[in-house]
Amino acid sequence: MTQSKETTEKSLDPAIQQMIAKAGAQNITTIWDRYAAMTPQCGFGDTGLCCRHCLQGPCRIDPFGEGPKVGICGASADVMVARGLDRAIAAGTAAHSGHAKHLAHTLKKMAQGKAEAYSIKEPGKLRAVAARLGINTEGRQDQEITLDVANAALADFHEKDTPVLWAATVVNPERVKILSKLNLVPKGIDHEVSEIMHRTLYGVDADPVNLLLGGLRCGVADLAGCYMGTDLADILFGIPQPTFSAANLGTLKAGAVNIALHGHNPVLSEVLVSATRLKEEDAKKAGASGINLVGICCTGNEIMMRHGIPSCTHSVSQEMALVTGAVDAMVVDYQCIMPSVVNVAECVGTQIITTMDIAKISGATHVEFSEEAALTKAFEIIDLAIEQFKRRRHKPVEIPAIVTPVVAGFSVEAIVAALAKLDAEQPLRPLIDNIKSGNIRGVCLFAGCNNVKVPQDKNFLQMAKILLKENVLVLATGCGAGALMRHGFMNPANVEALCGDGLKAVLTAIGQANNLGGPLPPVLHMGSCVDNSRAVALTVAVAEYLGVDTQQLPVVASAAEAVSEKAVSIGVYAVAAGLPTHVGVMLPVLGSPLVTEILTDKVKDLTGGYFIVDLDPESAAEKLLAAIDERRRGLGLAC
Amino acid sequence: MAMEGKRYVIVGGSAAGMAAAETIRRLDPGGSVRVLSEEVDAPYFRPMIPFLVSGKKSPAEISLQGCGPYQAKGIEVLLENRAARIDTGCAQVVTERGESLAYDRLLLATGSRPHLPPGIGGVSSDGVFALRSLADARRTALRAKSTRQAVMLGGGLLNLKVAFALLECGIKVTLVVQSPEVLSQLMEPADAFLVRDALDQAGLKIITGRSARQILSNEDGVNGVVLDDGAELACRMVCIGKGVQPNADWIDPRQIPVNRGIVVDKYTRTAAENVYAAGDVAVTFEPITGAAIITGLWTNAVAMGRCAGANMADRPTAYGGTFGILNATQVARMPFVSMGIVHTAGTDYETHSRSSPGAHRKLVFSADGNRLLGALFVGDIARAGLYHTVIREQVRMDDIKKQVIDHRLHYGHLLCARRYS
Amino acid sequence: MTEAKEIFVRLDRCMACHSCEMACAVAHSAGQSLYTAISEKPTPKPRLYVEWVAPDRAVPIVCRHCEDAPCMHACIAGAISRSPAGVVETDADKCIGCWTCVMVCPYGVIGRHLEEHKAYRCDRCPDRETPACVNACPTRALIYQSATGYSRSQRQTASRAMLAGNGG
Repeated sequence: MTQSKETTEKSLDPAIQQMIAKAGAQNITTIWDRYAAMTPQCGFGDTGLCCRHCLQGPCRIDPFGEGPKVGICGASADVMVARGLDRAIAAGTAAHSGHAKHLAHTLKKMAQGKAEAYSIKEPGKLRAVAARLGINTEGRQDQEITLDVANAALADFHEKDTPVLWAATVVNPERVKILSKLNLVPKGIDHEVSEIMHRTLYGVDADPVNLLLGGLRCGVADLAGCYMGTDLADILFGIPQPTFSAANLGTLKAGAVNIALHGHNPVLSEVLVSATRLKEEDAKKAGASGINLVGICCTGNEIMMRHGIPSCTHSVSQEMALVTGAVDAMVVDYQCIMPSVVNVAECVGTQIITTMDIAKISGATHVEFSEEAALTKAFEIIDLAIEQFKRRRHKPVEIPAIVTPVVAGFSVEAIVAALAKLDAEQPLRPLIDNIKSGNIRGVCLFAGCNNVKVPQDKNFLQMAKILLKENVLVLATGCGAGALMRHGFMNPANVEALCGDGLKAVLTAIGQANNLGGPLPPVLHMGSCVDNSRAVALTVAVAEYLGVDTQQLPVVASAAEAVSEKAVSIGVYAVAAGLPTHVGVMLPVLGSPLVTEILTDKVKDLTGGYFIVDLDPESAAEKLLAAIDERRRGLGLAC
Repeated sequence: MAMEGKRYVIVGGSAAGMAAAETIRRLDPGGSVRVLSEEVDAPYFRPMIPFLVSGKKSPAEISLQGCGPYQAKGIEVLLENRAARIDTGCAQVVTERGESLAYDRLLLATGSRPHLPPGIGGVSSDGVFALRSLADARRTALRAKSTRQAVMLGGGLLNLKVAFALLECGIKVTLVVQSPEVLSQLMEPADAFLVRDALDQAGLKIITGRSARQILSNEDGVNGVVLDDGAELACRMVCIGKGVQPNADWIDPRQIPVNRGIVVDKYTRTAAENVYAAGDVAVTFEPITGAAIITGLWTNAVAMGRCAGANMADRPTAYGGTFGILNATQVARMPFVSMGIVHTAGTDYETHSRSSPGAHRKLVFSADGNRLLGALFVGDIARAGLYHTVIREQVRMDDIKKQVIDHRLHYGHLLCARRYS
Repeated sequence: MTEAKEIFVRLDRCMACHSCEMACAVAHSAGQSLYTAISEKPTPKPRLYVEWVAPDRAVPIVCRHCEDAPCMHACIAGAISRSPAGVVETDADKCIGCWTCVMVCPYGVIGRHLEEHKAYRCDRCPDRETPACVNACPTRALIYQSATGYSRSQRQTASRAMLAGNGG
């Protein structure tokens, strides 16, 4: 079917374009309609010059100099912008670490025998993490170690004598030194979030540089939250291994009970995956071919990389899964769930099932999830989906026949294992040799969301195309991974078309050594958004192997279509880790030339990392390549 | 009644005359409009002539017809054609060339000419200018080419503008001001400090409290000025800017009463039937006090000319008068607006003056404090038009006085205040 | 010829968000984007002003393009004229920055570009179908309509309110 220009300006995904047209025809309001209704958006907020931190406000500073130049309290544009950015970092940190804390509690309950649906899937990782934390593992039972790890995790949230372990033990010693010198090592994850709330309160910190340093420290706390989330999820649910799967709306099945798992935490989704196997018969009795689980957003990433469950869609297009009419239940936990799904669900009959006490949506069905009664709750949820299937089964559905093959699940452990097939003694050596030789020019991590302000996937696709051709090894997480997988960037068959010769050779060599019958996919799927920690882990491992600091490596990151405050905090820790970090939508900082300059330039003198804000994907890709080359030169490597 | 349209004759082709012509053309398309002008140049924006001296504008660029509101076609302008007298009995204007122009409606808009104060010797020497017309500006510009030093007599707005035009030509300019400070007509000495500082910084040499006694000259024309204290200033050019006087001398006061200017009623009619007067040559009035005044203001000339035009085209329109002072400009990067009553020495007006770095203002209220009578803004002139309106409409101060004093007034306040007054 | 449209202000709608000012400045910038406008020199300027009317009410004050425009007649440079669409326009090339228009504008809506030494004012966004300020208003406090159309819609609103029962 031909797509109007209007549709292609919304999404580059043909399945989504088809659903946008359907939504339009059926008068279903979508995010693109709401965005249009919202534009033009308030320029004060857009530039960070709106402050609502006290009851004397709201205050706005006029960037064109006609109106007020300071807030009522006297806060300058620089202070206002820095405060606002800090609060975004704190929110992102709170979310990632909230996710990790949930896992820590689950781990603890499991160790205490209170959560029988969970078990230690990866004792090796448990012991590795414990060892890294300085927890004695010699001659101890897994359960004991688990309890200590869970308690250590929970202890990392509050202020204590030791620094946050998940920050201090996960980066290379050189980085620890740099962060310590700048007082950027967090004392407690929640403590940092709380301190940001304090210092950005009315009449506290009014030094923009000091505020930004506080934001950086909170960003390091966010790394801790993410890293902890990854560690604990791997212990509980297994370390992801390369797995074949599929993506896009074509993974929905008209005749099956379609359950879309949406949100973030595998604490919920893993149990649903297990429970589904036990409920297949019930589904068949209801006239279905079976239960078809699909993922949306980061839950999709979590279950794809551990179970090969397909990802149906991501981020900005989450409503479009429902527009097919084929989703019987959308089960959500928290983060990135647009409340509007309830309204779309109302039009098409989907059950929206919320599960978390902190994340209810009016109009949704709430099934309060608990780790203690996890399986029972999962059955209850699946029953609701089957009931909905019975009501839906004779109604027409429109499922775009678009499915993209995906190879996903490249945890650091999986990458190292694959490389070990080339050099068992020093697995990282083949990677580093190829970087040195220029077969791999550098590494770029794509992370973050799909932003309605960008035609969906456009920035990711255009940038990844350029970088792959230039032999940059591309890693992806979150909905950045989602974008790239839906467009075939995780299909090994596309290496030939997408990758430059050097990269092609490397991906092929690793694939052959691992008997994959072909190369690795062009883009390596590293997981969900907390799994950006995996990219940091890989960077740190390479730095340690080479005996250099992370800021010297030709490694860059891009949140090309960022939405969530989580993307802001991730960007901040990428910068704190020393990486040039691209953001492809505007951060609300332009109202302060000082803050803008610090973020895009001056911070480089402190951490080595810096932000590149560029809304044009092609010029952004060029800038990332330039940053990679600059670092190659720094290491004495040919460009 | 004859079928052909009314014959409108306008004497004077500047602001009042052309504004009237434009208005008539619009209201009475069937009439004929003829404008007599003594000048060699087609109508132009007279206040722009200092830009001719500096070379920033060409005569074509300050031409009036076709610019701004002056868009009407079918206005016949007779150049270099000076009216000699009016025969009110026959309803004819007789020109110096001896032609007679019959009128159904006549407008006297002959404007004003520079006032040359008595007591200065040598004013007729070559190189002495009193800038009034485009032709004057051309001559001044020509002389400026061979001039390195100029003396300006008078510290009024016109002289300041010309002084800057000359400064821009690289000429050293000395301004001799009889008053204690420049711009004494527009602000009191105590209020002029910012303007004075700006002028000083711009390189204008100013001598206050002195007047010229004698202009010296040789075969090349002017070569110096002797002041009343005996000081001698060498120069090759002298510009006299000492105000203007109405060109009403040619009017026979037995036909049309003249009191310095031509006397009109509030419909801009003179005593003679079908004869109107407007602009600098006419006596107008101050709207608040009703006092008769004569001004050389372009804004007044345009407004009064438009009003006269309407009346001549049989749309009775009362003229609202004008402030004696209603000036806005920017000299030496210092903008200012002066309007209404701004001279308060020895009066019992309630006066509020405020200064901040780079800005000074003075608000003058009636003695009872209830009405704004005048306002002077130097440096920051934002929204001056609102204060103009407040003065003109005599808006009660009840709720807006603080905003007026603080220079924070905006249209929203006025909306509210009007509701109460 | 169709009746020219004007910008009307619904006094009860303004939330004082200043979005109209911001959009106006951007619409009158070289880059046409907030992100570039913010660092442009000379600084782009808004041509309308959100001010309060009553303690609890704000209102955007915008050039009325007066029928008998005082600014146009007072201009000593012939820089201000009325377009065929009824828009009173300031020709920046002709403007000499004497500020006479500022002195006579009864609405206080003529701005001064100090860097350029030029007066500026609402031009009703000649290159746009709807002026940027109107598009930017989140509460539709600014309406771009012909005078006839606007008064018709006002009457309809009033009669609907009466029919709704409260007014009758």
